[in-house]
Amino acid sequence: MGLTTLPRTLTLQDGRTLELHLLEVSDCLSLVEFYRTLPEQDRQVLKDDVTTKEWADRFLRKVATKEVICLVAKDGDKVVGEGSLYRSLHGWTKHVGEIRLTTARTHRRQGLGLAMASTLVKIATDLGIEKIVVNMVENQLGTRRTFEKLGFQKEAVLPRHVKDISGIKRDLIVMANDVSQIWAAMEAMVQDYSPHSGE
Amino acid sequence: MAKTEIRVGGLGGQGVILCASIIGKCASIYEGKHATLIQAFGPEARGSACSAQVTVSEEVIGYPYVKNPDVLVLMSQDAYTQFIPQLKPGGLVLYEEELVNIDGKLPKGARAVGIPATRFAEELGRRLVLNIVMVGFFAGATDLVSWESIEKAVKSSVPKGTEELNLKALKKGYDYGKEQAAQLK
Repeated sequence: MGLTTLPRTLTLQDGRTLELHLLEVSDCLSLVEFYRTLPEQDRQVLKDDVTTKEWADRFLRKVATKEVICLVAKDGDKVVGEGSLYRSLHGWTKHVGEIRLTTARTHRRQGLGLAMASTLVKIATDLGIEKIVVNMVENQLGTRRTFEKLGFQKEAVLPRHVKDISGIKRDLIVMANDVSQIWAAMEAMVQDYSPHSGE
Repeated sequence: MAKTEIRVGGLGGQGVILCASIIGKCASIYEGKHATLIQAFGPEARGSACSAQVTVSEEVIGYPYVKNPDVLVLMSQDAYTQFIPQLKPGGLVLYEEELVNIDGKLPKGARAVGIPATRFAEELGRRLVLNIVMVGFFAGATDLVSWESIEKAVKSSVPKGTEELNLKALKKGYDYGKEQAAQLK
């Protein structure tokens, strides 16, 4: 499910089929349109103002430098989901990646978020990223369940860190998946050594 | 059917025992044959000589020790030096060609086929899957077990989350083994 398997067709639980592929420059208008049509309530949990051309230009530059690996889900010509892996190419957190994921309300609860998230996790591990984090607001229960299915665990809670559309302060949850442990298990299996042998 | 005796040899940390165990698991659980496994390793976790003996048979195996293997799977020069005199005449040596130098001491009629398994594993992104490349190479070159069975055996043996890369490593070795076996015919 990593980079080598893209683009690919994804069938949702309700039978609709979408195409998952890495963001291309030609998707840009459709991506901005996707964000503009998102309800305000959904957009306010995003870190950036994704409706502006400046954001799109900045984002494309990061995609070009591979600081961001962006995956889009398209229903025909329309973007209905965007998931990105953000990573630092230098410095002390270059082993860490962050996933940000947004899907259209019309396509939720159909397995799209899980498919995109698992593809991004696979891309991250293929790129050698050892730890993946995702931030979410306490009441994003569906998102939380999606990432729990992929082995993410709650790592930190920042109390009253975000303010929602009605001015209520909510906790920000940081979930993390130490994917280096996956390969540590494989490493243990190829040790050719059993400390319990002979007991 | 006569039983097939296999010796897998290499260094600790190469996954010698896992390699042998997957071959045995594949034959016994997914192909309905009988299989035994005996393992030997040094006290160190890495770098010591390490080997495993696998016997695969259609019938019950009364004696699990491999004295004269039909197939040698070798991942180190020391293993080659130690085990090559034991190979049956007409036997098959499957070796990691960047780690083992075949020096002409092969028994009469024996065939040797090499694979750059370490390079393949590194190209796939993790040297760790070297042993799975060798498992695939074994399956492709010997036809002792089917692709479907070996695929299931690998999938059920490796840690969750590592299946995809391990299966790629298996396929890489399997296809290479098939190609090399075709050239031998």
